[in-house]
Amino acid sequence: MKRNPRKVKWTKAYRKLAGKELAEDATFEMERRRNRPEKYDRELVHKTVKAMDKIEKIRGARQDRFYEQRMSRAKAQQAAADRKQLEQEIHLVKAPGALAKEKEEKLKVAVEDEQEEMQE
Amino acid sequence: MVHNFKSMQSVPTAKDFIDIVLSKTQRGTPTVVHNGWAIQRIRQFYMRKVKFTQQNWHDKLTQILDDFPKVDDVHPFYADLMNVLYDKDHYKLALGQLNMCRNLIDRICQDYVRLLKYGDSLYRCKQLKRAALGRMCTLMKRQGPSLAYLEQVRQHMSRLPSIDPNTRTLLVCGYPNVGKSSFMNKVTRADVEVQPYAFTTKSLYVGHTDYKYLRWQVIDTPGILDRPLEERNTIEMQSITALAHLRAAVLYVIDISEQCGFTIKQQATLFHSIKPLFANKPVLIVANKTDVVQLEQLPAEDRALVDEMAAEARKISSGGALLGPNDAETTLVTMSTLTEDGISHVKQVACDRLLSSRVEVKLKGKRVSDVVNRIHVAQPKARDGVSRPPVIPPGVAAARARREAGDKRKTEKELQEEQGGAGVYNSDVRKLYDLKDPAWRYDIMPEIMNGKNILDFVDPDIDARLEALEREEEAAAAAHADAIGDGMDEDELGPEERATLQQIREKKKKIVAEHRRKKAAGNNAAPLPRAVDAERSRTKERMTRELGALGLDASAAAERAARSQSRRGRSLVRKRGRSEAADADMAAEEQPKKRVHSSKSRSMSRGRALSMAAPEQSKGLKDAVQRNKAIKMADKAQWKLGRAAKKGEADRHIPDLKPKHLFSGKRPRGTTDRR
Repeated sequence: MKRNPRKVKWTKAYRKLAGKELAEDATFEMERRRNRPEKYDRELVHKTVKAMDKIEKIRGARQDRFYEQRMSRAKAQQAAADRKQLEQEIHLVKAPGALAKEKEEKLKVAVEDEQEEMQE
Repeated sequence: MVHNFKSMQSVPTAKDFIDIVLSKTQRGTPTVVHNGWAIQRIRQFYMRKVKFTQQNWHDKLTQILDDFPKVDDVHPFYADLMNVLYDKDHYKLALGQLNMCRNLIDRICQDYVRLLKYGDSLYRCKQLKRAALGRMCTLMKRQGPSLAYLEQVRQHMSRLPSIDPNTRTLLVCGYPNVGKSSFMNKVTRADVEVQPYAFTTKSLYVGHTDYKYLRWQVIDTPGILDRPLEERNTIEMQSITALAHLRAAVLYVIDISEQCGFTIKQQATLFHSIKPLFANKPVLIVANKTDVVQLEQLPAEDRALVDEMAAEARKISSGGALLGPNDAETTLVTMSTLTEDGISHVKQVACDRLLSSRVEVKLKGKRVSDVVNRIHVAQPKARDGVSRPPVIPPGVAAARARREAGDKRKTEKELQEEQGGAGVYNSDVRKLYDLKDPAWRYDIMPEIMNGKNILDFVDPDIDARLEALEREEEAAAAAHADAIGDGMDEDELGPEERATLQQIREKKKKIVAEHRRKKAAGNNAAPLPRAVDAERSRTKERMTRELGALGLDASAAAERAARSQSRRGRSLVRKRGRSEAADADMAAEEQPKKRVHSSKSRSMSRGRALSMAAPEQSKGLKDAVQRNKAIKMADKAQWKLGRAAKKGEADRHIPDLKPKHLFSGKRPRGTTDRR
């Protein structure tokens, strides 16, 4: 069954089109098909081989940055979700009764501290 | 008109001829005729037969007459040859007879057709036709000898050598056994019989040879004896004919060793007697069989005779331009057909002389001007005094100089052969690579690195681009760090909170895993009652531990558990049991309205005491409110099934399969939705 790769979520085509991955970049231009072969030059090939490594690293770094930028919005969402989960499912770890008691104690301690401060 | 002697159709004998034509008539015309037909039709039938026969005779005879060449029309050489071989008179006579026969047949046909027009019965017409055909056939019978003779002539003619009278020809003549046929065999591919007896060669033979990229005919003649013309036999006449009519170079071969059986004197005499035939032809005296006797070894008088012949040859032959101070060489040549010594020289001399004579004649002729006028070599007019020599590129000049110096470059093929041949040696293609540094010629360049093609990255200005890229990268990385670094949320959870969250998630995972395990286990049995708990997983210690982890103080519960445990053997699920601690608890709280199970029958069966029973605290309910709620929930759960009068969930029994109220009664309009 023929599926359009641009609509199939896990393909590179989809991801690049949907802007989920780095699609256009200078590093991609460094690696492109050349129709006219260059005359062999040992120095040039040396340089090329060394450059290939660097280019790969740069490309990796750029892809990571791209990902971070994309996911930066998710951070806030994630934090909110965490906080909610923490508040709502605390009962699995601490009994509500114990929690209430802790709160009271904290409050007491805080009030005492304030009073001390006020006195000083 | 050029005749192709080989494509003449065969002439049948008289008898065969008659048979052919008559059977043709029989098959080519209708055969059925009836007495009762209209007379015109009958006449037409027979007239057609007569005419058809006449037509056939006429066509076939015409074809024969056309096939045979007319002696007057062919080249005089062939005319003479035919005369010599077949006797011109006889030949003409035979053909004439056939011609007359043809005319007579036509006349017979005309006459009898005229008579047939007035035939009044089938019988008469038939007889007329019979007479006509009969006369025609009788005529042909009388031509029998002519036809036979013509057939023989045709056969012989088709085997005549195809001599082109107009092209370059060398004619070899001389006494019998002097070595003409041997010469022929050596010079051409012809395979003429060579035998020690005289007149081995009985007719003309043609061979072809090449010289200066031209085709030359070499004609071998039968030997000639010294006799007056009238006494010559047919064989000799053939050579005489050839000598007379062909414009060729004549090679008069003499045998200086006299092995042929004729002395040099006789040969010289013959030469002098036939020299009229050599007019305007380049003549060469060829002294053969020099392996036996050299020309120099000849005695003086024989030598004198030979020289005399050579002088005569010079005088009579053409090609005067070629004869210079060294004319003796071009008129008298020696060779030996046995040792093949001097044969090529003879050929060369003869061909050269013939060529020059032919050219001379052509130049003197009228048609030269046509050719000469068409050829024009254009010379460019010099514009100025600047000399413009041809440009030779320096590389070419150097290569030429090297070649002059004899510096032969070893070819690849030679190298290959040296190194062991085609299958063993692989030629080195790399040695001629044109690179900046020749040391790189034998480099092995990798093609792939880390899954990428290296050639995709190769670029002459890769340095610059890489540098630009790296600068770009630094800038981008710095910018990114700034942008992202500021986005630290205050909403972020602290480390303790993180830890708690982690605990929550782990706990959840455990619960889910446990549930899945239980589900997958497929063991949907009810949990074992506490009394039969073999593992004893429900222990006081466990409870305390777990509740402590949750942050609760479970000591009170543990005590109560211990107290109830101490009552040995008693089931904790006793409905009528009660404890003092429970009373104390109960009293502390306010008393909400006590709920009772709705199913009165149950309570009644158990006695009134149950409805007033104190709540069993071991049910795990906190207070009266909860207990009431529990009772209410239990009632609610049972209400539906109770109403359906089912014994339980799995009760599918239908007490009444066809209740009457559903299957009876009329159904008036508007009530057919359901039953």
